Amino acid sequence: MNAQELIQKHKLLECIHCGICTGSCPVSRNAGLNIRKYMREVVAHGDVTVHSQNELWSCTTCATCGIRCPKEIIPYEFLIDIRSLAVEKGQVAATIRDALESTFKNGNPWERIRSKRSEWTQGLEIKHISQGAEMLYFVGCTPAYDPRAQKIARSLAECLGKANVDFGILGVEENCCGSEIYGMGEKGLFEFLVEENMKIFRKHHIERIVTGCPHAFHTFKNRYDQTDFEVQHHTQLLSKVIEEGKLTFSKELKKQVIYHDPCFLGKQNGVYDEPRKAIESIPGVKLLEFDRTRERSLCCEGGGGRMWIDITGPRLAENRVRNATKYGAEILVTACPFCLSTFEDAVKTTGLEGKIQIMDLAELLSLAL
Amino acid sequence: MTEFEPTIIGFTCNWCTYAGADLAGTSKIQYPTNIRIIRVMCTGRIEPEFILDALRLGADGILIGGCHPGDCHYQEGNYKTELRVRLVKSLLTSLGIEPERVRLEWISASEGQKFAETVQSFVDEIRELGPNPLKKNSELK
Amino acid sequence: MQKGEKLNDSQEIRIGVFICHCGTNIANTIDVKKVAEYASKLPEVTFASDERYVCSEPGQALIRDSIKKHNLNKVVIASCSPRMHEPTFRKTLEAAGLNSSLLEMVNIREQCSWVHMHEPKKATEKAKALVASAIAKAGLLEPLYPLKFKVTPSTLVVGAGIAGIQASLDLANKGFKVYLVERAPSIGGHMAQLDKTFPTLDCSACILTPKMVDVPRHPNINLLSYSEVKSVDGFIGNFKVVITKKARYINEVKCTSCGVCAEKCPVKNIPSEFNLGLGKRAATYVPFPQAVPPTYTIDKENCLWFTKGVCRVCEKVCPANAVDFSQEEQEIQVDVGTIIIATGYDLFDVKQKPEYGYEMYKDVISSLEFERLLSAAGPTGGKLVRPSNGIEPRKIAFIQCVGSRDVQTNPYCSRICCMASIKHAHQVKEKHPDAEVSVFYIDLRAFGKGYEEFYARVQQEGVNFVRGKAAEVYKEPNSDNLTLVFEDTLLGEVQEQEFDMVVLAAGLVPRTTAEPIQKMLKLSLSPDNFFLEAHPKLRPVETQIAGVYLCGCAQGPKDIPDVVAQASAAASQASIPLAKGEVVAEPTIAYVDQDLCCGCKVCESVCVYDAIEVEATDENGKAKVNEALCTCCGSCVAACPARAITLRGFTSEQISAQFEALLKPAQQRD
Ligand SMILES: Cc1cc2nc3c(=O)[nH]c(=O)nc-3n(C[C@H](O)[C@H](O)[C@H](O)COP(=O)(O)OP(=O)(O)OC[C@H]3O[C@@H](n4cnc5c(N)ncnc54)[C@H](O)[C@@H]3O)c2cc1C
Ligand code: FES
Repeated sequence: MNAQELIQKHKLLECIHCGICTGSCPVSRNAGLNIRKYMREVVAHGDVTVHSQNELWSCTTCATCGIRCPKEIIPYEFLIDIRSLAVEKGQVAATIRDALESTFKNGNPWERIRSKRSEWTQGLEIKHISQGAEMLYFVGCTPAYDPRAQKIARSLAECLGKANVDFGILGVEENCCGSEIYGMGEKGLFEFLVEENMKIFRKHHIERIVTGCPHAFHTFKNRYDQTDFEVQHHTQLLSKVIEEGKLTFSKELKKQVIYHDPCFLGKQNGVYDEPRKAIESIPGVKLLEFDRTRERSLCCEGGGGRMWIDITGPRLAENRVRNATKYGAEILVTACPFCLSTFEDAVKTTGLEGKIQIMDLAELLSLAL
Repeated sequence: MTEFEPTIIGFTCNWCTYAGADLAGTSKIQYPTNIRIIRVMCTGRIEPEFILDALRLGADGILIGGCHPGDCHYQEGNYKTELRVRLVKSLLTSLGIEPERVRLEWISASEGQKFAETVQSFVDEIRELGPNPLKKNSELK
Repeated sequence: MQKGEKLNDSQEIRIGVFICHCGTNIANTIDVKKVAEYASKLPEVTFASDERYVCSEPGQALIRDSIKKHNLNKVVIASCSPRMHEPTFRKTLEAAGLNSSLLEMVNIREQCSWVHMHEPKKATEKAKALVASAIAKAGLLEPLYPLKFKVTPSTLVVGAGIAGIQASLDLANKGFKVYLVERAPSIGGHMAQLDKTFPTLDCSACILTPKMVDVPRHPNINLLSYSEVKSVDGFIGNFKVVITKKARYINEVKCTSCGVCAEKCPVKNIPSEFNLGLGKRAATYVPFPQAVPPTYTIDKENCLWFTKGVCRVCEKVCPANAVDFSQEEQEIQVDVGTIIIATGYDLFDVKQKPEYGYEMYKDVISSLEFERLLSAAGPTGGKLVRPSNGIEPRKIAFIQCVGSRDVQTNPYCSRICCMASIKHAHQVKEKHPDAEVSVFYIDLRAFGKGYEEFYARVQQEGVNFVRGKAAEVYKEPNSDNLTLVFEDTLLGEVQEQEFDMVVLAAGLVPRTTAEPIQKMLKLSLSPDNFFLEAHPKLRPVETQIAGVYLCGCAQGPKDIPDVVAQASAAASQASIPLAKGEVVAEPTIAYVDQDLCCGCKVCESVCVYDAIEVEATDENGKAKVNEALCTCCGSCVAACPARAITLRGFTSEQISAQFEALLKPAQQRD
């Protein structure tokens, strides 16, 4: 894509340089990324200026810039196109390159082999979708492989089982959803994944999907351009089965809990109330709120390929866990495997181990079953 | 053979669509030359006979443009037109003439862009449909 | 010649055709000479010519001279839209002794040359077809004679902000009767809420109150406050208006405004609308001390008598016996000749921008709330303090363009907010010279007289102007202060700064309460949803409805100088028909051929104006048109099964001739 095409596609001539995109950008201060200047450079120079890897790859695709833009320009999509140029030229960090290669080869960016994809189910009785089920539980790469995130998958399976939700999984047939691949700018690979996944979904006649990952949820819902199936995030499904009385609690949980809105769930898809309702339905739990919550939630820096590249500088996740303790929370609950992972790291780097626990909503609920 | 150039008669009300067409002009929004507009004060003035006669005389399409529902300068003229156009279309269907040759659109005085887009899409659609079957063969050349 | 009379059948039809170049506007695309030459060969055309500017004096002289020289009795002019110059050319015909209805115009500019700029050949062909079509209609034109109606010499003004007040006073001073309808308990609108006004810093109340007081005192003004328009019927010169006067439960004549009722009223915690919830009022109240009329009003929603059936303390304590719980809504009918709409604006709802935390933080307030905090008559007595703790702010931020220049909310610029914030910044400096003030802007628009100078002065006072739209406001845990995140776009630096107060310079939006009147009168709206003027440059205070005018922020955001100027303009326009005493109506109305009419009454049922009626004298009743009410819509004509009704100027024969000519195969046109 050349400068002219970028200008056309992203309506760059309509930009009034108000700076709300850059001001809203959670990483601009740490990483020096100034997305507005990037766009201006393309218009003014008629050429794409090459910036440092640290800047270019710091964007978490949290989407705040696009949501607030008064001219409905979507700066992060522009940035993804710039990444595409870098990817095409092979000007990317080795870790990104490896993640992309692994996704192509193994169907996951974690460089893990396909046959281990359903390892997390050990000891649990979970149907394969081919055995017939109303709903597909799409696990996603991180909950499938990451030892910490596997607990999300196990807890969610437990909750769904308890609520008598008829679900099955794809097992080793499951592929990466492509969310992060898209964010890294490898759009060719993304298209390939869409095709592969749609083939598999069609093969199993899938009409309903629940996923425990906001990134897969967002991607299926908004980037797949499909009408075959309906997709839900687990917070939506869980809050629904609780409301319908299908999921009940037997234990009291006397805890102060604070909820963090994942960008891909909250800002990008407006799911704010369901996770809160689910938390508040647990007997004994007191729900606290961050000051920066809902539309103003502070990004954890887990998205946009950031799990596969190291950007120097202080971490927003550290700010998040520190503040959570200041508000008096004992458990910081989120609903995204990336948030979970960045927060777990931040607990260690801030020395707050033992002071605060990080949990996915499904884990919290399963504690009270 | 050169490309088929449809002849389209437009009936527009003075208050909304005619003004919308003027706005397309002042804004210099370009659209195909195929349309020729006849101005009436309100679409309510348009007799079903006008539409039928114009088709009989070889018009390839009839575009009727009026105010949005609720905005007719004369309160209800556009509602009456909607009923009449529906009637004409069912009549055309029974006569074996494509009812798509008659199109009714609500275009306000501030919708110059919409006017141009409507003409463009209608001309495209009529081009697809081909010449009015009632036109004498000799005139088709 | 009499109304409806035809040209002498034996008289030869002699049409003159004039094709305008409009400088290069038409001639650059359309081969006007070719069109004129083509027209000259058409039947019944006696004379055809082209001219650089037909609307210019030489152009009009050509028409006049040709009419005489060639004894023309019909004229066709192909030029710009008839919506531009039809009235001009009608006069030209009259000047040459020809009936003005014997003109047919062809729109070859807006609907031809300007929209087919890259297809000169096809555009020329289209122009030819359009001209042929007009000539065909012209052959069938008949002379028509305008109808004249008497005008009721009075005006209805809707809304009594500064716009409505100014327009009413102007009209009343000219000697016309004015009915001024205001839905709130007091007149004054938003200007009454302002503290000082830019750029001269006059005290708003000081310049507004004298005008407000003049209103009810004026012998020609009938002020109907706490009232709303219920319905409007009729047409220019003869509108019939029904107004609902809401019950105040306090007698306007008896009330001396002593205020004892409010003092003794036990319900005291109602958020004051006038102070935007920053202060409280009782259930019996005047919105503000200088209210006009000064009559108290009992708020039915909160009064204990209406909600719980107890109390009536006010009734007992009123020394003037003015409290009257039996009062009922009243309907008043008035006849007016013209109507002025001055319904003003609402402030943009800042809750729609959650990034600024308006709902979360008491110290984030709207610009209008800030006015109330500055006002000596406001909830803090003019002490500028933080709403959260009553302490003086040391560091204040103003965020510009909240909701404005934003395609997600209001795509337009609200025009007053830059100056209002500059004014506010100055006022902060005046009250607390040590306070730090920052204004976060996208572009500062100081466009009016003395505005740039005022901006320069405030810059010198040390106000910090930062180019960048603030992105977000948040609070660190356990902090009292607000952190503002923004990019200083001139430096390309993202920064965070703490403030103790943030003011949102919200944009202006149309009043939601203007909708009923818009629907009643079928007024058009512009894309920004404010009322649409008849022409943005040349008819800025008229609407498309004859006899209805606009002024103030109802027409679009503007400051007080512009509002007042526009209000005087609207008053002046609205007085023209009143001064003339009669209006001339278009002669293009329906008439019934009594021989063809079968009395079926279909026409009666389609006419929304009750302008056509079958006289029920005997079973041979025939339809008759009421010329004063007929509006030329043509609905009855299209509906008449006997084709007995004709619309003058738009007869079936004329329209058929138009499309027949258009559908003549192209080769027959050369
Ligand atoms: C924060 C702020 C500061 C400002 N500061 C300045 C300044 O310093 N200098 C300056 O020049 N301008 C200033 N302005 C602009 C100024 O407020 C407006 O220009 C002016 O008040 C508009 O007057 P208006 O009469 O058109 O509308 P409004 O004041 O809104 O009055 C409209 C009136 O119509 C009534 N109404 C509405 N609907 C109906 C209905 N259906 N029936 C009957 N009545 C109805 C309303 O109740 C109201 O009384 C400021 C604006 C803001 C928001
Ligand atoms: S006036 Fe436009 S449709 Fe009636």
